[in-house]
Amino acid sequence: MIGSLSVLGAGLAFGLGAIGPGIGIGLIGGKTIEAMARQPEMAGRLQTTMFIALGMAEAIALLGFVLAFVLYGVK
Amino acid sequence: MTAPVPVAGVEGAAADPLTAAIGKLTHELSVLPLQGEKLAAGDSFNLAAFTLTNYTFWLILAVLLVAVFFILGARRASLVPKGIGNLAEAGVEFVRNSICIDVMGPEGAKYFPFIGTIFFFVLFNNLLGNVPPALPGTGTVGTTFTWGIIVFLVYNAIGIKKNGALGYLKSFIPSGTPGWLKPFMFLLEIISHTLRPVTLGVRLFANMYAGHIMLGVFAIFCALTLEHFTAVGLIVLPLSFVMQVVLRAFELFVAVLQAYIFSILTAVYINGALHASEH
Repeated sequence: MIGSLSVLGAGLAFGLGAIGPGIGIGLIGGKTIEAMARQPEMAGRLQTTMFIALGMAEAIALLGFVLAFVLYGVK
Repeated sequence: MTAPVPVAGVEGAAADPLTAAIGKLTHELSVLPLQGEKLAAGDSFNLAAFTLTNYTFWLILAVLLVAVFFILGARRASLVPKGIGNLAEAGVEFVRNSICIDVMGPEGAKYFPFIGTIFFFVLFNNLLGNVPPALPGTGTVGTTFTWGIIVFLVYNAIGIKKNGALGYLKSFIPSGTPGWLKPFMFLLEIISHTLRPVTLGVRLFANMYAGHIMLGVFAIFCALTLEHFTAVGLIVLPLSFVMQVVLRAFELFVAVLQAYIFSILTAVYINGALHASEH
């Protein structure tokens, strides 16, 4: 019982944990395109900052990924 | 809990071909010694049991490729490089200008050797992993967490060298924080710093590992629908074949992107340590 619940929890942890970062990555990309359209000469710097922010948002999704692995191992 | 998915040909036969194939895939993507069946529990921490594994083999090959690439690239250095020298110069220039100097300002060029090493190590490992029999050396936690910890040690050492141990610790509390909030801010900063090597390691590992699992799953779909031909297969086969091609291209993109993100985050962390006293 605990085993099957932990598998369910693993799936939920990753799935639900990916919602927030997904929205965040969408917002980051969208806003960067907006900013780049407004000021094309800033494109290089904006892109660098965008990738840094993407990395931060992604890290949150990955915490769910790790948690899923941890939960999957619970017997 | 139920036993892990049976691995075809390793321990008992699995119930259905799909489960068996996926079990075989995850088995092939796990860390296996070049000689012998599998690592015993605790071997990872046992120096006496040191052995080459499938991942370390490809990792060493990728490192040799980096060496060959740059030795060939620098062999006939000329003002107007051509061929492989041109490629090497473009790569070096990209890391030096777009990563080091863009993030850290002119003084960033000093840290190019460190960040360049990371970039080309990760890039070559990731790209080599896309050549079918090869595995990405970065597709295992051993490699990525080691780099994460190296980055953690290096940027903290730089911060302490620049600001002094006390000044560096003091910078964990932003100026203008009300007194009662200071311990919490300090704790929060400590946690975020501790998480940095973890996120660096997990990000790279998860991207490479998950990418290869996805490629493998669609390859399995192709193979199984060809083998057991049904009406459903008529839809699944072309779809998974197209997905296989698209994902392969996407994986090449991810390979470059992850190398870029790993090195740019390293640059950001070093920059934060350098200018710790300013905020």
